[in-house]
Parts: sequence; C-alpha cells; structure tokens
Amino acid sequence: MSSRALRKSPPLLPYILLFPTAFFVALFTAWPVLLSIYQSFFRQRMNIARFREPTFVGLGNYLDLFADPYFRQIILNTLKYILGTVPISIVLGFLFALLVNRKMRGIGLFRLAFFHPMVLPMVSAATIWMFFFTPGYGLFNTALRTLGYSGPENWTGNPSLALLAVIIVAIWKNAGYYMIFYLAGMQNLPADVYEAAALDGANGWQTLWQITFPLLRRTTVFITIIAFIDAFRTVDHIFVLTSGGPSRASTVLLFELWLERFEYQDIGASAAITVIFVVVLLAFTVTNFVISERREA
Amino acid sequence: MRTLKVFLVLLAFLLIGVLAACKPAAPAEPAAQQEAAPAEQAAPAEEAAPAEEAAPAEESAPAEEAAPAEQAAPEPVTFQVFYPVAVDAPIADILKGYIEAFQAEYPYITVEPVFSGGYGDVQTAIQTTIDGGGQPPALAVMLATSLYDLINADYIVPLDDFVNGMEGGDAYLSDFLPAFLENSYYDGKLWSIPFQRSAVVMYYNADMFKEAGLEPPTSWQSWAEAAQALTTTDGDATNWGLQYPSGWPYWLFQPLAIGAGQNILEDACTVVFDDPAVIDAVQFYIDLSAIYGAMPAGVQGVWATAPTDFASGSTAMIVHSSGSLSGILEQADFEVGVMPLPGKEDGTYASVPGGGNFYILKDVPPEQQDAAWKFVEFVTRPEYVADFSIQTGYIASRASAWDTDAMKAHVAEVPQALATREALQYAGAELSTQNLGQVRNIFHDYLQRAYNGEMDAAEAMAAAQQEAEAALADFCP
Repeated sequence: MSSRALRKSPPLLPYILLFPTAFFVALFTAWPVLLSIYQSFFRQRMNIARFREPTFVGLGNYLDLFADPYFRQIILNTLKYILGTVPISIVLGFLFALLVNRKMRGIGLFRLAFFHPMVLPMVSAATIWMFFFTPGYGLFNTALRTLGYSGPENWTGNPSLALLAVIIVAIWKNAGYYMIFYLAGMQNLPADVYEAAALDGANGWQTLWQITFPLLRRTTVFITIIAFIDAFRTVDHIFVLTSGGPSRASTVLLFELWLERFEYQDIGASAAITVIFVVVLLAFTVTNFVISERREA
Repeated sequence: MRTLKVFLVLLAFLLIGVLAACKPAAPAEPAAQQEAAPAEQAAPAEEAAPAEEAAPAEESAPAEEAAPAEQAAPEPVTFQVFYPVAVDAPIADILKGYIEAFQAEYPYITVEPVFSGGYGDVQTAIQTTIDGGGQPPALAVMLATSLYDLINADYIVPLDDFVNGMEGGDAYLSDFLPAFLENSYYDGKLWSIPFQRSAVVMYYNADMFKEAGLEPPTSWQSWAEAAQALTTTDGDATNWGLQYPSGWPYWLFQPLAIGAGQNILEDACTVVFDDPAVIDAVQFYIDLSAIYGAMPAGVQGVWATAPTDFASGSTAMIVHSSGSLSGILEQADFEVGVMPLPGKEDGTYASVPGGGNFYILKDVPPEQQDAAWKFVEFVTRPEYVADFSIQTGYIASRASAWDTDAMKAHVAEVPQALATREALQYAGAELSTQNLGQVRNIFHDYLQRAYNGEMDAAEAMAAAQQEAEAALADFCP
C-alpha cells in the first residue's frame, strides 16, 4: 500500500529542495524583470510633476529610444566595447594559462601577477589606470613612447581614444580571471592523450590546436558567456576614467541606463533599456548553450 | 520514510530561519545600525524606550508651548541624516562629534547618521528608499543644484515655517553668504540651508610669479600671457603654465562665461548657451592651448591629478575647487596664491559656488522634521560653521562664523581661506535648472566637442542651446 502511494505521488523532495532558490530567484530576478517590462510601456518621469503618475504609451519608450541618434551611438559604443574586450581577453587568458601551466620554480608568482588585477575592485583598478593614463608623465604613455609611439596621448579626453582606454582597462582586469579557468581546465586534461600524440610525432603546434584547444571547448563556452555578461555589466571604470565622455564617446548601455534612471529620472526609458538588456543577454546565453549542447550530442 | 520526515522538519526550520533573517531588511536600517552611534553613545536603554512609556508624569504639564523648554521632557525622538563623505577630510568623524554635542544639549533626540559615497549616492539612496515604499531620512545633505529635481519629485518640504518659528529667523537667514543661498529659493519659498559649500578658484604659484616678475593676472589677456610665460619644457616633459580640468566641465567653465559678462543660465527654465559672451568664453578656453600654448589641448580629464601637479611645482596655475586648498597647502613648499578667475575685461573677476545643502524630507513624522531642524540650527551656529570650515576646508557659509575667534585665528594663519570667501563676491549662480541631469549632459556634450575641435565654439553652443530648449520644453510649459 504504502509503496504504491509513494510510487504514485509525484516526488516532492526535489521541489522542496529547489524552493529556496526558486523563491529568491523569483523575488530578486523574475519580479524585477516583469516589473521592468510593465513599466517600459508607461511614460513616467519622477522630476516632472505632471508625469509622475505613469501614463500608458505602448511601445513609445522603445520607439523614442531607437529614434534617438544618441541611443544609436550608445548601442554602437556598446558593440565596440564588447568586440574589443571579449575576444582579446579570452585569447590573452588562454595564452597566459599556457605560459603558467608548467612546473617551474616561482611559478606561483607569475600566476599571481596575471591574476591579481581580478582581485582589485574595479574602482581601485580604474583609479590606478587614471594615473597611468595621465598625459605627459603617465606610465602608459611613457611605456608607449619607449616603444616608439608618438601619437596622441590624451587617452581619456580624446573622443577617438576614450572608449579604447576603458577597453584596455577591462582587458587588463579580466584576462587573468579567464586564465584561471583555462588553467584549471588544462590541469584536468588526461595525460594519456598527450602521450599518444607524442608517440605519433605531433609537434607542439599540432598538440595545441588538435588536442588542448578542442578539449577545452566547454571551458571556452563558459568563459565566453561570463566574458560577455561581464562586458555588459561592468561600468565602474567608466565612471572613474571618463564619466562616459568626452561627448558620450565612452557611454555604453549600462552607463546610459544609470543616466536615464538616476540623472534624468526617466522610469519608462530606463525600464525599456533594462528590457533590451535582458533580451540580449538571454538570447546570447540560450544560443550559446544550445549550440554547445548540440555539438556535444 | 522517517529520514525524509526529519529532513522536512529540518528544512522547515531552515526556511523559517532564512525568512526571519530577511525580515529586518527594511530599507536603510542596516546601514544606519552599522554606522551610527559611536561606542560612547550606544546607551541602549535610552534608545529602546518606546515612545509611549517615556516620561509620562511630566507630560501632564499644561500645553506644550506654555511650559518652558528646560522643564518639559519631550518625547524621545530618533531621526536619520544621510550624509555624503566622498571628500578628503574625515567628515564622518567630524559629524559624529557634532552629533554628540547636539545630543548632549537635546537629550531626548537621537541622531542616526548614515554616511554614504558622494552627493549622487545620497540622492540615489533616498530615491530608491522612497520608490520602494520606505520612509526616507528626515534630513539629508544633497547638492544645492538638485533643488528642482527634488521639488518636482515631491521629496522635500519648504523650510519657511521652521525659520519663521525660530527667534530672529530673518537675521539667521541674512547671515548666510548670499552666493550660497542662490540655489535655495523656488516659488517664493526657501528649500535648503547651505552647509558644505565650496567655490571655483584659481590657485597660482606665487614664487614662480615673483621669479618671472609677474603680477597675479587681472584679465583674460594677462592671465593667458602669464600662463604662456610660465610654460616651460624640461626634456621630454612640459611644465604647463595652467591646468584647467574639463572631464566633467560645466562647473569650472561657468566662471569663464560669467567673466565674459553672461552666466550660462538665467533661471530654472532659461539657459543661454548660445549667447555671444558664452561663445567667447568657450573660445578663450580653446585659445589657451591653441594660441598661447599655455595648457594641453582638448578635454582634460585631470581633476584628480591637477592639485598634485600644482603642489609639486610642475604646473604654475590650476583652476579647481576651493575644497582642494587644505590638500594643496599640506603638500606645497612654496607660497600658494588663491584668487577668483580673472574676467575678460581688466579688473573683472568671476567664480561660481558649489557643494551641498541641508534638505528636510517629506513624508517623515513632523516630530522628526522638527528634531532635524533643531539639528540644522545647531550645526549652523557660527562656532560650528567656523569649526567645520577650519577642519574640512569648505567655505564657512555664514558671515558671523568669520567673526568668531577660532576663524580669525585660522585666517591669520591661512590667509588663503579668506581669499576663497572673497572670490564669492564675484560669483554667479551654479547651473541649476529643471531637468538638470539632461540639460547638463547636453551642455557637457557640446562643450567637449568644442574643446576637442570637433565643432567650432559658435556652432557647438548653438546646437547645445537648441537641444537644451527641447529638453526643457516638457518642464517649462
């Protein structure tokens, strides 16, 4: 009897175990997202007395945003920022991992050197870089000059360099972090595959491309996702280095979201940007998983 | 089966625990508990006493107004003050000292300070508290220029009743330096009390001037020429005659426009970015590098490094906040000169005030608002205003504070402090309009385009004017 009842009733335990997580995800993720979707259909500005109460405008906020040339520039800045940071920091992370994945005296020191930017809070890191970027005597310019560079040196004030400056800081900050994942992945690779490759006479380059890199594909997928999300959600250094300027040249989507919400007090527009954000991140993450799972099968 | 039951019971307890732990997370409270009440004051019995139980006997006295203040023991009241601390001086410690003194004088009032980042962070914290349905603090220090945003959002109350209710209220108000009250009035009402105030000034290396046989500048012309004369090259490095930060430019720019004869705004709804005098001022900034070669070209993101460059003697002059005075005096081993910015015509000068004021928040119990006002009154007494100025380098906001013995002694020792106050007589109003965030961003955008040579000055300011007017349209029907 009892065993039949057990078989029939749906298993309760997994749901109970999931409940706390589900509860907090619902409260702190799902609910705000739903609220943002709802708010994005209303015009509401806290700093205009007669627009303080929300009025329904349908897709008005979205249409306004995409009709605004500034917003299109900001989307473009964001794309440049992502394309500038994600691939380069992943490749660098991989190279760093190759460099420090060996037995050698003092290797810990090298690993630490690559990894330490990750430990620094972004604001401190950006403050340090602010001094590096100082025109004239800044360390960055001095180093470039010894390498023969003689171009413009005003990194944070020049509209064509400001975005590059914040990209450089982001790469410096993140490459070491991604190195750690690759390093962990490399140290878990089976030794016998390499022995077999060595017996077959594969050279170092072949081993790297035919064995190490493919075996680390899952790590790469994982790193790509977190790198992409990171690129979207780190703006601390922009506040410190450029305040989104000069003339909005280094304003990216999340920075604009902050401006709309807290500087312009435009609830509707900021909700619409939030929704755009969520949609893009969701689309990217889902595609990435689908592709990687399909290949796995 | 049994293990499952045990497990479920345990899980239930765990959940209850988690939920209970979440409960006290009412907005802003945890922060207050962490930061408030230095050890000496943490008299828990007093704080814990519920309002109803406190001193019932004395309360049976006649009407409140009739009883002399000393005899009536008013009901205990606790209020919060949000305060920005993102400056060099140890503001939090100084404020805690004032709060202790205040609580000694008003034993029934407990002040809970909540210190957070910068002005923006304080405003954001209050915004999110109110939007989330929580109760805001009774008192906060926010930017003087946030006035219209705060009024439009219905976050603050006018202070006229408080001032009228005090003895000599008019005299109290007229004692504040007029430049600091510029951003306090709207719609015929008073909305904020100046406290943590600064101004834009020009610092110059008096020793270098003397060596070069130069006098402190009295016009744009003599200023630019002095900067040019003091620009020297030393191998690879250039020692600039002038550094003029422009990473977040409107504030430091305003004295140039005022010095040319026209501030960039006329009132909360009217900006005049395209006025010929304003365009003149933009052009002068550009000329300082383009014609005189006296400072680096383009937008200068050097707010943080300029005071150090000046104090180390590698830059002869900088335009900066009066708030940097203490830091510069500590580091510099030469005679530091402080003056308002020279104006365009000979013998004219200009400056602009900045900094934060006290605001009393709406939707707070009236007894807390009253207590908050008592605190404002207390810390704006001349002796505290003077002390705050001496300890932090902010400009003492009341005339009578400058007459205190402490301030006189300080000025005798640091005459530059007096120069910052004197700069204020040439000050115009700081940019404060409806829809400030957007208007300011538009101005920044085009000003920086002009500085960087992407547009010429007239073209950029015309575009800025047009966009700013569009941004103000919804606000100023």
